Amino acid sequence: MSKELIRLRDLTMEFDGERILDSINLYINDHEFLTLLGPSGCGKTTTLRIIGGFLTPTAGTVTFDGKCINDVPPYDRQINTVFQRYALFPHLNVFDNIAFGLRVAKCPKEEINERVNRMLEIVSLKGYGHRNVASLSGGQQQRVAIARALVNEPKVLLLDEPLAALDLRLRKDMQNELKRIQQATGITFVYVTHDQEEALSMSDTVVVMDKGRIQQIGKPEDIYNEPKNAFVADFIGESNILDGTMLADYKVKFFGRTFECVDKGFAPNEPVDVVIRPEDIDIVAPEQGHLVGTVTSITFKGLNYDIIVEFKGFKWLIQTTDYCAEGSTIGIRLNPEDIHIMRKSEYSGMFGDYSSYSAEYDELTEDADEDEE
Amino acid sequence: MKRANRILTILIFVFLYIPMAVLIVASFNEGKDLTTFEGFTWNQYAELFRDETLLGLLGNSVLIALLSTGISVALGTMAAVGIHSLKPKMRSVVMSLTNIPMTNPDIVTGVSLSLLFVFVGSGLLGQRESLNFWTLLIAHVTFGLPYVILNVMPKLQQMDSSLTDAAMDLGCTPMQAFFKVTLHEIMPGILAGGIMAFTMSLDDFVISYFVTGSGFVTLPVEIYTYTKKPIPPKVYAMFTLLFLLIAVLMVGMNLMQLRAEKKKLDTRPVSKGWQIARRCIAGALVIALVVGCGFLLITNKNDQVVINVYNWGMNIADGTDETLDIIAAFEEQTGIKVNYSTYESNEVLYSKLKNGGISVDVIIPSDYMIDRMIAEDMLEELNFDNIPNFSYVDEQFHNPAYDPENKYSVPYTWGTLGILYNTKYVDEADVTGWELMWNEKYAGKILMIDNSRDAFGIAQYLLGYDVNTMDKSELQACADKLAEQRPLVQQYVMDQIYSTMENEEAYIAAYYAGDCMLMMEENEDLAFYLPEHQGFNLFTDAMCIPKGSQEKAAAEAFINFLCDPEISGANMDYICYASPISAAKEHMEDYLAESEIVYPDPEVQEKGSAYAYLSEETTRLVESLYQRATKTTENADSDDAPKTVPYIIIGVVFVGIAGALLLTGKKRKRKY
Amino acid sequence: MKTRNKSAFLSLPYIIFMVVFTLIPLGVVAYYALTDPSTGEFTLDNLMNLSEFLPVLGRSVLYSLISAVICLVLGYPVAYYIAHRGQVAQKILYMLIMLPMCMSFLLRTLAWVGLLQDTGIINNFLDWIGIGRLQLIRTPGAVVLGMVYNYLPYMILPLYSIIVKIDNRLIEAAEDLGCTPAQTFLRVVLPLSVPGILSGMTMVFVPAVSTFYISQKLGGGQDTVMIGDLIERQFKQADNPNLGAALSLVLMALVFLCTGLMNRFGGDEEGVVV
Repeated sequence: MSKELIRLRDLTMEFDGERILDSINLYINDHEFLTLLGPSGCGKTTTLRIIGGFLTPTAGTVTFDGKCINDVPPYDRQINTVFQRYALFPHLNVFDNIAFGLRVAKCPKEEINERVNRMLEIVSLKGYGHRNVASLSGGQQQRVAIARALVNEPKVLLLDEPLAALDLRLRKDMQNELKRIQQATGITFVYVTHDQEEALSMSDTVVVMDKGRIQQIGKPEDIYNEPKNAFVADFIGESNILDGTMLADYKVKFFGRTFECVDKGFAPNEPVDVVIRPEDIDIVAPEQGHLVGTVTSITFKGLNYDIIVEFKGFKWLIQTTDYCAEGSTIGIRLNPEDIHIMRKSEYSGMFGDYSSYSAEYDELTEDADEDEE
Repeated sequence: MKRANRILTILIFVFLYIPMAVLIVASFNEGKDLTTFEGFTWNQYAELFRDETLLGLLGNSVLIALLSTGISVALGTMAAVGIHSLKPKMRSVVMSLTNIPMTNPDIVTGVSLSLLFVFVGSGLLGQRESLNFWTLLIAHVTFGLPYVILNVMPKLQQMDSSLTDAAMDLGCTPMQAFFKVTLHEIMPGILAGGIMAFTMSLDDFVISYFVTGSGFVTLPVEIYTYTKKPIPPKVYAMFTLLFLLIAVLMVGMNLMQLRAEKKKLDTRPVSKGWQIARRCIAGALVIALVVGCGFLLITNKNDQVVINVYNWGMNIADGTDETLDIIAAFEEQTGIKVNYSTYESNEVLYSKLKNGGISVDVIIPSDYMIDRMIAEDMLEELNFDNIPNFSYVDEQFHNPAYDPENKYSVPYTWGTLGILYNTKYVDEADVTGWELMWNEKYAGKILMIDNSRDAFGIAQYLLGYDVNTMDKSELQACADKLAEQRPLVQQYVMDQIYSTMENEEAYIAAYYAGDCMLMMEENEDLAFYLPEHQGFNLFTDAMCIPKGSQEKAAAEAFINFLCDPEISGANMDYICYASPISAAKEHMEDYLAESEIVYPDPEVQEKGSAYAYLSEETTRLVESLYQRATKTTENADSDDAPKTVPYIIIGVVFVGIAGALLLTGKKRKRKY
Repeated sequence: MKTRNKSAFLSLPYIIFMVVFTLIPLGVVAYYALTDPSTGEFTLDNLMNLSEFLPVLGRSVLYSLISAVICLVLGYPVAYYIAHRGQVAQKILYMLIMLPMCMSFLLRTLAWVGLLQDTGIINNFLDWIGIGRLQLIRTPGAVVLGMVYNYLPYMILPLYSIIVKIDNRLIEAAEDLGCTPAQTFLRVVLPLSVPGILSGMTMVFVPAVSTFYISQKLGGGQDTVMIGDLIERQFKQADNPNLGAALSLVLMALVFLCTGLMNRFGGDEEGVVV
């Protein structure tokens, strides 16, 4: 449907002998909303900065519209960036911030006025032109930063965790706003985030990265439903990951029991990782279950309960709307489409075990992410 | 607790401001003295604005301060940006380099720079005047730069580095990004650093004092020489005006800052004030540069002949106290411009000339120094065709011992070195000879002359030695005698003698007759005594032209002018010395011409003797003996100092340097 | 942050300037210190002869240390008081401390001569009220007074800028944990102001130990000759730059040693740059 705009070929980046990016290959289509998703230190911001021209890769090429732009400085690229902490110029007011790029490009005055005012309208900041940027709220500053980038009508807009500093509510609003703006302008967005929910809800394409490598590229649904390895499965939503053996096509064995599944193409008896999403598990009476376990804890989460169930010494997370008392015994059923099979990878055995689960776990990891850079 | 703090704070402020109040009050004083208020007057201010020299010096100071600040700001900001992007290890090395002028005492910085300039300029490049405007400018930049860097660096570190990225992202080249964004962010640092560099430069005395030559002098350095002589009260007037100016500037700056801060919280635009401030600064810098260049053009490219005259302090009539302004008269008559500066002693003159730090055309050393300079080939032979007025010089001053063929010098004044004492406090019975200077009755009220040659001369007359002896044991005896005198001496002084004797801070002093006459005019209780029976120094100061003078003919014209009997007479009215031109007596005030102090009887003159040049070795010995006797050691027998001590000192030197190198790498310190 | 290296070359002119005009001059000083004044040959005599100046050196250190301590004792309460005023009052007081620093220190010191001399303002007053004249000037006390007067602002300003930055919550926390005001001061405020104290001490000590004007004007009698006087004399009167260079070298080493010790003594805290 749309043509390829940017391609990264074997992109490698090293700082002081440390490899930050390892052979990144990626193409970005025109009008696409592409998200680079990964934990802190995975290389997503570095990738973005290379595209933006702030870094020169150690090896590999960046092509834009078919031309290599490795040596093109940032100011000569048809790409603009929205920075993590907005990077608004404190000595300029809202209008002048937005007009900055146009003035550097020596646009005629009337045109600047017109375009800036239109942009102010798009980001719903009409009448704020004379305000000092320090007097704006976080969301407003965010919108100024976006307007400042968009007013130059770039081919590509790079956004480096633009919503990280906003509170939850504002973040949701801005997600919609961003999506709307992207659709309205038709500009390619390359978006960096560590928030999987944000990535899934906004993107056309999600690129999951870890340790300087791309782990998976795909549509949000595919990423969620068919994670390629334990890392992706764990990073995108919650997952119970088990060791299993692929007996044959559509037949997988784990916990000493054979289940039907929808996957094929594995060697007979190949050891695999089995992913079961917590929300896909049906709770039934113990006697009806494929497996029977004991509830060891239950946490109310608003929409649902998170319960931890112990099966033969292995703990699973199950999300359910039904209340199950701690200590009770329950059965579960697994449908073939709820069972995802992945090949073994370096991440096998590192994720998907809820033995040390606690309710605060989520918050802790999020805090750690905030500290990135 | 709080109240105690408050009271203490108030007291401290009183303490800080009282001396300034004294100076300000003095600027309205009719009298010359700080301590007694004789009536209110605006005259000092009128005097100040008539005094082109003083205003010129202030202009020099401002010029140097503006130029050095401009250079420091430009170079320092650039460097800060560069240092900011250095690797951390390299950065700390460079920062410790920055700390050297900050931690080093000013005097060491000044000394080291002056040695460098003299070493390279005179030693390696053979420059005639190695201490000049440019070296002074370099020195000021050297100590101004660290202030800029230390103020700009934190601002760079605080700045969100994505701001420059953002600017480049929006189409700025790195250069544009710097000027459009980074500069704004670090502007407060640049301003603070610039203001500090400016005030430090404007007020710098110590470093300038060492790197100033004769051509370009700043105000603080000149004030230093002023504070040794009776200080003209117009200087207080200038202090008052500067005080007001700086106070207004500071208040203005603070108001601007307060307003800017208020605006920042405001929702309305803020950038106007900044723009204005920026334009003002840019304007000021441009003006400074234009003025600077203009100045240089004027001093360098002017067709007018300029001669540099280097004279003793208070040794030419300058128009004050209804005397003739001799330099102005000369300039008017000949159209030659005179650059006039002063020195304190023959030794100062000699070392400046010898080091090549200065370039002068006319100097007025004393006899023995002329002897030495001739011996060291430092003087030009004079062309007496250009000095027809030499014929007025009395026969007895022709072919003097220090210049036997009379090729190099024309006498300017002559006089004696005697004792000035206050009759109110000193018993006439005690005035029996040089031993008065050793009289324990007047301990703490005796002023000893502060140069080795005269001090040794006095001891030699007292002990009955030949005044030109080179005998080491005799010299040692003199040194011992001086050391014996030391507990009785209030101060060792030169020009400072004026205020001290006039104010009756001290009662007895050894000094030159002419100056004593001046002091006796101010305080009628003072009297002059010449120990005829023991002998005394009879000196001649003569005008010479040092080797390398570029304007020899003009210099000779100046010498000739001063030999005109009328001029010489008018000059003596001011300086109160004896003129070697008898014809000048007719043009002098009678009381001087007839004074036995100024013109002792011939038979008295017989008893005086002149200094001759001793060998270089002896000169050095005398100087070091003098210092040891008067300055350093409490008891004269320091030869027994333990032999290990030098090694300890050398050890300390090296440990100190090593320690400094280690420590400065880690630390940043001193001054804000 | 990673792209910065490109502008590193901008520091090159500065580095060259500083090497040529600070490091090399120190080398020239060392060269002069190690050569003979008349022959220009290498010698250790200049350094060997320094032993006779030891009393002067000791006196310089002693007087300037005393001044630094007095400045600290006087300056700390003042800095503390200023730091706890309102915004506007702080600005005004800060300015009033800065103002004297911008005025000619030569003239201000000269004013003290007028105040202290035997026939000066203070003595005239004492005489008038019947106490009689005292020996104020030309005493070690007068020299120390001159130093304290001239360099007190150098102590107050860094102290102020450190104290004003001390987080009020820390003080509240200390009080919350049961400290009396005095304990709060001793256990929290004072330790936190150590960098300011060190920086102030250095800033007073260094110019004080090397002064020659103050000792010439307010001293001048016995026991007030300072090492700065000696250095000045070697260059301006005695024409012995080699001895002067040797003395400068010693002074420099002394200053680096003392400031180094002070900083060591105060732990490895960064000095303040206000």
